[in-house]
Amino acid sequence: MQKPESERELAGKVAIVTGASRGIGKAVAAKFARNGASVVITGRNAEAGAAVAREIAGDGHDAIFVRADQGSDADWTAVLAHAQEAFGRVDILVANAGLSNNVPAAQMELAQFRELNRINMKGPFLGLKHCVAAMRKHGDGGSVVLMSSIVGMVGVPGYVHYSAAKGGLRLMAKAAALELGAEKIRVNSVHPGMIRTDMTAMFDEKVMALRLPLGKFGHPDDIANAVLFLASNRGKFITGTQLVIDGGWTAQ
Amino acid sequence: MTGKLASRIIIITGATKGIGREACLALAREGAKVVATGRDEKGGLETAALVSDLGGQCLYLRHDIRSEDDWRNVFAKTIERFGAPHGLVNNAGIFFVKPLADTTEEDFDNIYEINVEGTFLGVRQAFQSFAASKTQGVIVNVSSLMGQVGFPNAIAYCATKGAITAMTKAAAMEGAAMTPRVRVNSLHPGVIWTPMITGTFGGDKALSDAFADDTPLKMIGLPEYMADAITFLISDDSAYITGAELTADGGRGAD
Repeated sequence: MQKPESERELAGKVAIVTGASRGIGKAVAAKFARNGASVVITGRNAEAGAAVAREIAGDGHDAIFVRADQGSDADWTAVLAHAQEAFGRVDILVANAGLSNNVPAAQMELAQFRELNRINMKGPFLGLKHCVAAMRKHGDGGSVVLMSSIVGMVGVPGYVHYSAAKGGLRLMAKAAALELGAEKIRVNSVHPGMIRTDMTAMFDEKVMALRLPLGKFGHPDDIANAVLFLASNRGKFITGTQLVIDGGWTAQ
Repeated sequence: MTGKLASRIIIITGATKGIGREACLALAREGAKVVATGRDEKGGLETAALVSDLGGQCLYLRHDIRSEDDWRNVFAKTIERFGAPHGLVNNAGIFFVKPLADTTEEDFDNIYEINVEGTFLGVRQAFQSFAASKTQGVIVNVSSLMGQVGFPNAIAYCATKGAITAMTKAAAMEGAAMTPRVRVNSLHPGVIWTPMITGTFGGDKALSDAFADDTPLKMIGLPEYMADAITFLISDDSAYITGAELTADGGRGAD
């Protein structure tokens, strides 16, 4: 549903959302579009990604899908070329794509560790680099949201590799915020806790929710609301921060 | 030697200079048998000689922390010479300052492989060794103040140190579930007057004065202060501490 123009706070903005074929990324892309942004959806699953773009476009918004591996520099070059061709500029990056699995450190192969960090940590670095270059072309600043996790702040067994990536993003955002602030390019990290997506499908909500002060898992839209806030003008004084959305998990 | 680490066997990476070398000396003063590792053989042998001058025992081993074979060799040679290790100080790392636009994918891969994968491989090897020898082990990962707060023109370095900060907590949770229990903590040095800093920014007195002036305690950070912090985290003085971040920065991070 299209919001009235006065409420479309991303009107005229072009946003790239990685890993947007499902889950949190899909919710972010849809919310951005409803709020007036033209969205470039990326992901490795061409079928699912194209379907999300069609769904959003079918509601009367601007959306394209570009098949891309977030950890590939060549793919980023292609994503930016498609974004420029379709919409002429880039204002917002949400580096959301990531994979996760549970492997104790003592049993982890180096190749597993490296592949996860290639996508989850190097990917956002490459995206940041390409998108900042695009934002510098128009000089109007921009907003970057790096999708970290509460695992970037607290420890969970079996997630040494995932923690490395997510902790890396937390500091990547802070360093980038300091470097890019003078150009009005804001960079923040978002830290979801247990959110009901495919990535958390293996967790039993009834059991896990006992550890959550709010008593239940979050919804992808809870994260999308926060990402919209940071990406929009409402977040204009916010940079280098870490926004935790976890139902209270890390407060304990 | 007697001391609070008498007969403990501790491996320290990046011990050919700087913080790693001072850590070897401080741990040896408390009676530990130390294994100093690193790529620079000359520096490593100097560290070993300095420990010997104190009356301590130190074995230097050539070690590229990116190499799984080197990690296996370091632990095997340590066991052969001294016995099963009790502790690992993941200190080796590299630093560079470069704007985002000039930081290439190769730059990122290189600093990531050394700082992040090198540290991970150490944690993995130590966990395997502690489990096999039933040792109540301890690991100290040297992160940085820049693994807690950002710094301009250091996006790649901050990312790798942020990775170490968070990885330490996950490792601490795994270590806490081991039998016997293993502790894992991170140390966060501020600006420390080492070859890493002088090699990047220059080593003149005007610069060290400027760093000191910029630090709330008005002191220049010395490697021996970090060595004291490492000794604390390795020793039983920190028996109740795991998954923690110890910042030793003269107050910079609080400023």
